[in-house]
Formats: sequence, structure tokens, C-alpha cells
Amino acid sequence: MTGPQPPQRTSPADPEVSTTPEPPAATAAPLKQTERPHPLTPFVRGWLVFVAIAIGWGRELITGASENQFEGRGLTWILPVLGIVVVLAAVTGFVAWYFTRFVIDDEELRVETGAIFKKSTKIPFERLQSVDIIQPLAARMFGLAELRLDAGNSTTKLRYLSRAKASRLRDYLLARAHGQQASIRDLDQQSAASVFTDLGESDQRLVQVTPQRLIVSFLLSTEWLIPAAISIIIVVVTASLGVVPLALGGLIPLVIGMLSLIWRRVIGMFNFTLAESPRGLRITRGLTNLTSQSVPINRVQGVKTSQPLLWRLLGWYRVDIDILGYAHGDGEGNESTASSVLLPVADPDEVELALGRVLPGFDLDSIELSPSPNRARWLRWFDFWTLRYGWNDRTLITEQGWFTHEREIVPHAKTQSVRVQQGPLQRLLRLADVHIHTPRGPVNAVAHQLDEHAARELALSQLDRARVARVAERERRSVAAVPNDDREGEARLLTAFGTGRDQLLGSGGESEVFAIDHDRVLRLYRSRHEAPQGTSAQLRTLYDSWRGIDIGIELPLIIDGGERDGCIYTVDRRFSGRSFSSWLQHADVAQRRPALVSFLDATEQLQRLPSPVPGFARLIGEGAPQQFGTLSELLATMLEGPLQTSRTRLEHDVPGIVAVWNRLHGDLAERSITPALVHGDVCPPNAYISQGPLGPVVTGIGDFSPHTINADPLLDLAGALIFLELEPYADADADAGWLEAVAVERHGREIARWIDVYRRYYGFYFSNAYAFDPILYAWCLRQLSR
Amino acid sequence: MEELFAPPAYEWRRLSPKYRSMRILTSLIVTPVLFTIPALIVGVASGEWWVAGLIWAVAAVIVIIRLVFVPRNWRSWGYVEREDDLYITHGVMFRNLIAVPYGRMQLVEVESGPLERAYGLASVTLKTASPETGARIPGLTPEEATRLRDRLTELGEAHASGL
Repeated sequence: MTGPQPPQRTSPADPEVSTTPEPPAATAAPLKQTERPHPLTPFVRGWLVFVAIAIGWGRELITGASENQFEGRGLTWILPVLGIVVVLAAVTGFVAWYFTRFVIDDEELRVETGAIFKKSTKIPFERLQSVDIIQPLAARMFGLAELRLDAGNSTTKLRYLSRAKASRLRDYLLARAHGQQASIRDLDQQSAASVFTDLGESDQRLVQVTPQRLIVSFLLSTEWLIPAAISIIIVVVTASLGVVPLALGGLIPLVIGMLSLIWRRVIGMFNFTLAESPRGLRITRGLTNLTSQSVPINRVQGVKTSQPLLWRLLGWYRVDIDILGYAHGDGEGNESTASSVLLPVADPDEVELALGRVLPGFDLDSIELSPSPNRARWLRWFDFWTLRYGWNDRTLITEQGWFTHEREIVPHAKTQSVRVQQGPLQRLLRLADVHIHTPRGPVNAVAHQLDEHAARELALSQLDRARVARVAERERRSVAAVPNDDREGEARLLTAFGTGRDQLLGSGGESEVFAIDHDRVLRLYRSRHEAPQGTSAQLRTLYDSWRGIDIGIELPLIIDGGERDGCIYTVDRRFSGRSFSSWLQHADVAQRRPALVSFLDATEQLQRLPSPVPGFARLIGEGAPQQFGTLSELLATMLEGPLQTSRTRLEHDVPGIVAVWNRLHGDLAERSITPALVHGDVCPPNAYISQGPLGPVVTGIGDFSPHTINADPLLDLAGALIFLELEPYADADADAGWLEAVAVERHGREIARWIDVYRRYYGFYFSNAYAFDPILYAWCLRQLSR
Repeated sequence: MEELFAPPAYEWRRLSPKYRSMRILTSLIVTPVLFTIPALIVGVASGEWWVAGLIWAVAAVIVIIRLVFVPRNWRSWGYVEREDDLYITHGVMFRNLIAVPYGRMQLVEVESGPLERAYGLASVTLKTASPETGARIPGLTPEEATRLRDRLTELGEAHASGL
């Protein structure tokens, strides 16, 4: 569902889909030509009723045969009744067909139904969630198909249309639903889709399940083997005792259940094909009834892969998805309803391919899974070793089960709510469960039997991740809502510099950086950023003033800049090294420690850079350069901006924040130093590392920004030490402590006090991160409550 | 132990004491009535009144257990409105901590049955797109229930995000 959903909407009736009963006079749109469905419709519908009745009666006759001694008489009166019912059904079908009219043209999509109570349903194109084509056997024999339009919570059926027409309308409607300005006339010439798979020429097959695999997988599935084994046991036991008829009472429902399983899992899934069309993913399946269903990717709420015991031998998986609004049918995938099955059986490569489509950017290998503690075996003796959970920046995963191994994948942005639960036995063992709630469907992510503190940590941090992901999604939507011209402008600009989205080196809050060649990068400012033009011009002047000054490390340089195609950009000199931050994650401790010392050295060199203005001053940003009499005044001004947004937040989260604030200013007033250049954000992501003669050393510091000031050089030293704690590798905290000891050894004990003071300064300075970076915000809170 | 189910850096708001009184009353009435019917039937039908006595004894034990647990259960309930989410905790044997982000709320319901009305109580339920959320706070005073509903609705609108 797109757009904000105001709460307290007491009924699910969508205001977007107006289903207002209108008087007949008003429904007649005089100018527009409306159509009726295909004229064969009443026959097909009548035939369906006939078949349904025949089956119903047939079952009655067979099961009741033994008791009913008047079968002959029964049949004679059944026939005329049957005839009447069929005629009635045909008449009803005819009336329904006669009064059904629809319009699908360039302006609107409207369906009118009802002979006595008229109903007119008009669906805005952009509200369409999916358009499915369903061909029951009877309709299929006549070359007819049902078009099912799903918008929000309401489903509108158009039956029946000729198959070619249905697929043409589907393509048109999906194009309009995606916001494309298609005209219905353009689509008239398209070639029709294949009769057996309903795939057109423009569709690319991703996964096709062969009948052999479908049948083998079915025969090996637990849900088939268990009833099959039970029936065999019943037959063998009763046969050996010679009392087979006694077993029928139990056997018949079992066999009926097995037949329905075959119907759903084999007949319904026959020829299962997952294809990619220009309008998204599409699933077609079915032996008798052919269903063609589109998968609205933005409505996928979670994914589940499952593997029954015997499938493990063959490495097969089944993949189900939660699609918003689909589950109110039967989620199981009956022959004619939309189903939640993404792949009934697939090998790991196919699973990966499909997961890549429904969860773009999903990478299972990047997620480290933690097992539940060993003491979980007392409660889950049957599968405790399979319990695992983990997450990365986009998704959360839980795993469980030995008999059927299940893995649930939930994107953070789709998390609805979180629950921690602990029963009495769990309390004794200090274990707890965490439930991650997602909308109704097959996916049900529960991290079982975690250590209780890990459980609490997982639940609370998941809320933070979900919030950040929601904000990011909202932003992505607003970016996507930017008129196409802007994005085209960006693409044109990238092409003009011989680069592209695939060359993205990094992105921050203010800009994105793309590689042009070995020596240059293109920095593209986000258009939302305030006055980027001014910032980049100020930075350019600053960098230019440092030309020819050698402080032993590489500094940034802006070669060119300007505005083009509606984007503000600069061309910067490319640093020779690679990102220090990404290097740190994979380096071992023996390499890291010398590199960190070189990072400290490089930071200490920054203060040798000349400032364009003397004294305490802001150097970059609106109104800069701006001079101040004291350090305390300058830093108070620097904190104004961030605190404007985070003040109320901090007042809630840090008890006694006012005292912390006053103490910071008291401390700053005591500091007496000569001002020098301060980068303001010396951290590993802004540093570059190259291979030196004695090992890797930090050779460059980039990304000066509005944080850059002329103030206490110890600010950068403190930053270099303490921002290290934010690096996402395991020993970051230990390294930060170690590096601080190195710095204290170099500069004397008293700097430890000032590092502490500046911890609090940075804690305030970055506190506006609560809105976009919970990890940074949590770090800020730690600094402020020290 | 307690801190496992505590909200981060906040104090729980507790339920009205009237909710405890109501639960005690229902415990005193419902179980005895439920057990008295079979006890009478057995007694009258068979004349073996000692069986009926046994049933009553079981009822008495259950009532005592409930009377012990009701105040503890009442104490276990708590909720707190944070900036971005609502936390609810409850349960003595099976303990729960539920967190619902305001951005995920679809609907806030205030309910008050006849017994609750007699006690001047109401309950507030938060619904999200997930049926498992189960975020219900019983035993609120009507003023608190209304305040909570309005507050949550307001926060929900401010945080609303698509699904």
C-alpha cells in the first residue's frame, strides 16, 4: 500500500475505490462506449454450475450408496431437478453477463454490474496493485479468461474475456499502474501469449519447475509422506487382522485429504513458471486451471524458505512470500486464487535468483547468524541446534526446525511490531523468544530461545532498524516522486563524465561520489541539501589555498564544479588509497595497530594547515567565515543547529542533560589554546590508506565540510580516537582504547580530560542523528551519560 | 531479572487499581458458579454429596490461587509512550514485552464492556497490519483511555508510513 495510512480508519473500505450504488440513470455514461464481457460467458458459467452440482451429487450418491436402497427412484427425480438448476444457472449467468459493462480506455477503468442493484466501480489506475488472469478449465476450453483486478482491499472480477483481450488489457493496466502514459491503442498490435504458459514474447523466464521435479519433490515432502505412511500402516494392520472395512472410516477422510493435497500441490502448481516481464514478476501455473498472477514487489512483506527433511538430500527449497492483502483468500494457493507461493520447489541457485528479485540487494552471505545458547536444548531438545538469527542493514533472518528447516526473512521496513516473551521454564534458563510481527501470511519470524539479554537487545535494536528503514523508504519514495526530468538530468550528467551508477564509490548525507577515472571522482550533491553550491565554492577556495602546502598527507582538491542538468556537482581529485574504514574491517590486529598510529599521525598534521581567517571561526557553511571571541562561543554556535532538532529527544533520553550541557560549557571556558584548523569529522570513512614501504599507512584525509572550523586542534585528535568506536568491526572498541593510550602517552595525561570534554561536545553535535542513524545516536547518548 | 522487561529509560504507567478489584470480583464469582452447577447436578443425580464437596473444594483452591495471582498480574501490567513507539508489558508466568511503532498503527480501539463500565474502566487496543501484534491495555480509566487514544492517533498520523 502506498501513501500514509491514517490510523483510526475504522473500516477497511477503501475510499480510493468508490463502489457507490447509483440509480440506473446516473450510471449511463452517454458519451462513452461501454463493453460487455465475451458473449460465451453465460454458457461457461452455467456449465461450471452444472459441473459443481454433478460433483456434489456424485459424491452424495457414492458415499450414500450403501445405505440408500432406492437409488433407481432417486435418479429419476434428480434428472429434471438438475435440468431446472442448469437452466436457472444459465439464466442467472445470462442476466449477470447482460448487465455487466466495463470501460477500459485512456481515461478510466470502470466496471458496472448488477441488474436490480446497480454497482459502478471505478478504480484509479495508480491504485491497481495487481492484475491477474485466471482461466478455469471450462473457460479455457472456450478460449476465455477472467481478469482479476486487485486494488487495495477490494478485488474486481471481469469474466470472461477472450484470452487475447484479457492479456492485452492486463499489459495495458499494469503499464498504467506503474505510472506510464500508455495508450490502449498502442497495445492492440501485440502478439498474444502462449496458450499453455500465458507468457508473451517480452517475458523472460527466470525459473521453470519441470513436472518431474514437481512430482519427485511432492512425493518426498513431509506433508505427503505422513498421511501416506499412516494409510499404509492402517491398511496393513487391518488387512492382517482381516478387518479392512473397519478402517474405512479413518481411511476415507485421509484419502480425500491426500487427493486435495495432490490437487493443490501438483495439479495447481503444474508447469509453474516464474518470469520477469517489463511490468514486474509474473507467476503462471496450473494444469487444468491456468493462473497467471503478478507479484507486486513493493507489497512483499517477508519471505520464507522451507526445506522438508528429505529435500535436503536433493538440496531443494520451497519459497513462500507474504504479500499484503493476499492472505485473506486462502494463502495455500488454491487453483483459482492468488497464492503466496513464490517457488514450489527450487534448487539453491534458483532460490537466490528469486530472492534477488523480491528483495533487491539481499545477500544471505553477508548476514552473520548467531545460534541460540546451548542451554536451549532443555526446551527444544528436538531442534535446538537449528535455532539461529541474524540481521544486516536491511533484513532480519530467523532459522529453525530440523524436520522441516525454515528460514524467515523480514525486511526491517516491513516490521510491524516486536514482542519479547518468556515463560516460567525459560525464566529458569534465562532464555526468551523474540517475535517479529509481519502482516498476515506464511511468514512468521520468531527468534526462539535466545539468551534473555540478547533477546531484549534484538527487540529494541530491531525497532531502531525498522524506524530507520521506514524513514529511508519514505525518502526513497519522495526521491522516486521527483519528476523524471531530474533523474534523467542526473543520468545525463553521469554519462557526460563517462561514469554511471555502477561506479558509485560512496555516499553521505550531502553528496554521492562516483569514480571517473584513476585520478578523478565526480561528487554529486543531493539537490535537497541546503545551499550546496555555496558549500562547494567555499570548499574549493579552501582547498585551493592549500595548494603547494605539504603536510605529508594527501588533501582533497576540487578541479572543476558547477551546475548542469539541474544537478550541482564538483570534480574532485581522487585519493590514491582506499577507504580506511573498509580496510579496517578485514585487517588483522598486527596490521591494524601500525595503521592506526599512522592515522593518528595524519590527524596531528591537519593543524598545520593555514586557516583563511585568524582566530576562532566557522569556515564553511552559510554566513561563513564567521569569527568568534572564544572557543566556547564558537562551539556553542556549532551546536545550535543540531540541538534545534534533537533537544526534546535528548531531554527525554538523557537524565540530567542540562547539567551535562552546563558542565561542557564550564569546561570549555577553562580551555586556553591558540586556534588551529580543525577538520571536525576525522573518522576512518574520511581517511584513505595505501601500501607504504613498511606496511599500510594512512596517506590521505578528505571530506572537509561544514564541520570544519578554526578551533582547538585537540578536537580532531579526540575525534580520531573516539569515532573509531563507531567502526563496524569487532575489535573497534578495543582499538579505540588502545589508540587513546598511545595519544595520552604522546601528549601527556592532561589530554585525557579534554578528550572526555570533547566526547560530550561530539555527543551533542551529532545528536540529530536520532532521525537517520540509530547507531550514531546511541553512541552520542553514551558520550553524554559518561 | 526485572530489567529484562523494563522500558529503556522510562517509568511504566500502571493500570487503575479498580481493575484489580474487578478481577478479584470476577474470580470470586465466575469459578464458584461454574463449579457449582456440575456439583449440584452430580449431588442431586447420584446423591453422593461427597463428590459435590470435592468439586467445591477444587473450586475453592482455584479461587485462592486466582486471588493470589490477580494482584500480581495487575502489578505486572504496564505501558509507556515513547517518542516513536508504545511499550506494553504484562504477564506473571508468561511475561511479555510488546513494542508497537506509532508509524505502524492502523487503528486504535477503545472498548468498555458492561462490567468494565460498572467499574468505570475501559481498554485500549492498537491494531497494526499484523494480526499477531495483540497490543491491548485493559483496566484504564475512561479519561486515560480517551487521552491515550487521542494521543496515539495523533502520534500515528505524525509517524504514518506506507506498508
